[in-house]
Amino acid sequence: MRPGGGNRRVQVVATLVMVLLLGAGLASARDADGLVVQDPHFGEVLFYFYQQNDFDALTHLMAAQAAGRVSSHEVEAELLRGGLYLSYGQHRDAGKIFNRLLADVSDPVVRDRAWFYLGKVRFQRARYGEAEAALRQVQGNLPPGLEAEYVLLLAQSLMAQSRFAEATTVLDGWKGAADWTAYTRFNLGVAQVRNDQLEAGARVLDRVGTMSARTPELASLRDKANLALGYARLQSGEADQARAVLQRVRLQGPFSNKALLGVGWADALQDNYRSALVPWLELRDRDLLDGAVQESLLAVPYAFGRLDAHGSAVDHYLTALGAFDNELSRLDVAIGRARNGELVPALLRADDPTIGRWYWQLDDVPDSEDGRYLYQLVADHAFQDGLRNYRDLLGLHDHLQEWQDKLAAFQDMVDTRAEAYAERLPPVAARMQGVNLATLRERRDAVAERLTAIRASRDVVGLATADEQAQWELLAELERSPAWSHPDAAQAREKQRVLKGLLSWQLDADYRFRSWQQGHELAALDEVLLESDRGMQQVYAARDQVPEFLADYRARIAALQPRLNVMQDSVLAVLGGQQERLQLYAVSELEAQKERLLTYRVQARFALATIYDRADAQVAERGDLQ
Amino acid sequence: MKQSRNFSWPSLAGLLLASLWLATPASSETVAPVIDEEVQDLKAEVLNLNRELFLLEEELLFPANTQIAVFVSMDVGEFFSLDSVQVTLDGKDVSNYLYTDREVTALHRGGVHKIFLGNVKTGDHELVAIFTGEGPHGRDYKRGATVNFNKAIGAKFVELQITDREIKQQPEFFVREWE
Repeated sequence: MRPGGGNRRVQVVATLVMVLLLGAGLASARDADGLVVQDPHFGEVLFYFYQQNDFDALTHLMAAQAAGRVSSHEVEAELLRGGLYLSYGQHRDAGKIFNRLLADVSDPVVRDRAWFYLGKVRFQRARYGEAEAALRQVQGNLPPGLEAEYVLLLAQSLMAQSRFAEATTVLDGWKGAADWTAYTRFNLGVAQVRNDQLEAGARVLDRVGTMSARTPELASLRDKANLALGYARLQSGEADQARAVLQRVRLQGPFSNKALLGVGWADALQDNYRSALVPWLELRDRDLLDGAVQESLLAVPYAFGRLDAHGSAVDHYLTALGAFDNELSRLDVAIGRARNGELVPALLRADDPTIGRWYWQLDDVPDSEDGRYLYQLVADHAFQDGLRNYRDLLGLHDHLQEWQDKLAAFQDMVDTRAEAYAERLPPVAARMQGVNLATLRERRDAVAERLTAIRASRDVVGLATADEQAQWELLAELERSPAWSHPDAAQAREKQRVLKGLLSWQLDADYRFRSWQQGHELAALDEVLLESDRGMQQVYAARDQVPEFLADYRARIAALQPRLNVMQDSVLAVLGGQQERLQLYAVSELEAQKERLLTYRVQARFALATIYDRADAQVAERGDLQ
Repeated sequence: MKQSRNFSWPSLAGLLLASLWLATPASSETVAPVIDEEVQDLKAEVLNLNRELFLLEEELLFPANTQIAVFVSMDVGEFFSLDSVQVTLDGKDVSNYLYTDREVTALHRGGVHKIFLGNVKTGDHELVAIFTGEGPHGRDYKRGATVNFNKAIGAKFVELQITDREIKQQPEFFVREWE
């Protein structure tokens, strides 16, 4: 099937690029490579895909492929299906497709893309060495949008194998979009610091931390880089450098709490507790859920203690203890709710199910008492991934339920059609019996034969109208009359001769037109007869095929129904298991938060007791002196 | 100053926080640490079942010998911002579709929307499409396009195409049959 025309350009290959880029939280790239949509059903798949509706896109693509409706886009359709599988979390099926493409297709452009996506699949499954091997097979035929992603993946695969020097070479040698480089550099810098290569990591993080950020995402990444570098400097005791880097973090950004805490510690490391109090006191009124704020509640009295302001230290320890106790009771309530299974459904209450899996991210936690405890939880990749699976299963459950309802309707439909068929068949059969096309065809042949004879003998009377024929017959009959030859009939004979001549002349004059007209009528009759014949064949075919079709539908419905039932049960079972896993994960996260608060509470009590002990000792000392 | 040795814990906590922070690299994408094979298996099975049900539904409701599908596509579309398309088949309204921004974007990027899927008898038919939206200079724009087509035994696909006519700086609307 080919289009009637049009030069619509589509970004078919960009499909997969978009999946990856949106996953990175960057603006989606536009792949310049396009092609003409040659099958409308392929365009329909793209329509769903571009709306990030992966499930519908996959369903339409799989159905179109099964029905042979995307034959003009065989390879693109496979690449797209692989990409959709990947974005739908079906890594194994995606891998199979890309491997098959590599085995079957020799086009270097397709092969490069297949190697690239295979690398992507392996990377996502944490098979970094194999991912690198696949990515190394790419021969430079990737479009610019994919090229950036390719470099990032290769660098990340190397970093995951602790081959930081090679990753740096890959990144340094690449001139591409700054956004991509910034993300990769950040990961590289952090990885180097973790690998005890502080100076190398610091150089990389410093570049990210001093870049100009055009987007909020990049500004956030810049803060993150400064924070990471600042704490790395703190850990190695380089207070001045740590302070300078941490002070680059924006005061109102999501990382400002940790930065303020760090700046305080940089001062504290140099025994400058008066300065340390400035950022720490700033943290005092912020949300206690943040670990940095919790720590500041203890850091402030600690600093007062170091400044010998023990009264203020006691006041602040008491405030901290009150705040911790309050927070601990609220955490207990939240843990109870999580254990009761209220948490996971609550997280997805405001979910938009039309958003594709890969694009989906739970950014807003529900506005509830528990909500504030969940920010940390939903920021966790493992939890988000589990939540994605849970969400997929919920979507599948809903789809299956819809099919369950539809299947019942299909069964009714087939039954109704069978009844209607049984009802209509006898009258239709009777009417078909009454139609004898063979007789009609014989009559047509007789007419054609007569026309041929008329034409052969140029029988002008043969093409006369009924009136003319009657007139001709009347005039001929006069000639057969016994009185015809009587002498008194001479005048009548003359009149008959004139009339006959006139009629003959008229018939002769009209002969050619009438002969053509009859031929034309005969051709029209042939067409009608042919159409009737075709119609009859269709009726016969329908009569014979309808029972076959109905039986086929019945068989398919009967086969699908039990599969549907089994699948629904399986989805429910796995859904329950997944919810339980998420619940356990949430409870363990909340317990960890609680544990941290408990530790801080113990520390505060211990510190307070120490101050009281010391005060008692001083009083006793004074008493002794007196 | 002997109390200073008793309070070494906050600095440890601070360093713990720092190490925790450094242990969490920013991810430019979500890398699933655990592949849930069970969920993958189930999803694969459901996707296959879904495909079969989808095909059954289409074959049952719209058999190929009577099926007609009408598609809307957009090529560039700089001179026309689409709001809705109304489709009339043999004088009968069969679809009146109002597009969301997300759908219009998908059309711009090369997606093709199946606006109508139905059944017609074999023979001659007339299809009229009315496109409504915003034309050049922000004016309300409404245009129609008509096609007379013959429905044979196989499924019939008709494409309603919105294109730009650069010379006239105007949108153009075509109705085309797919061969």
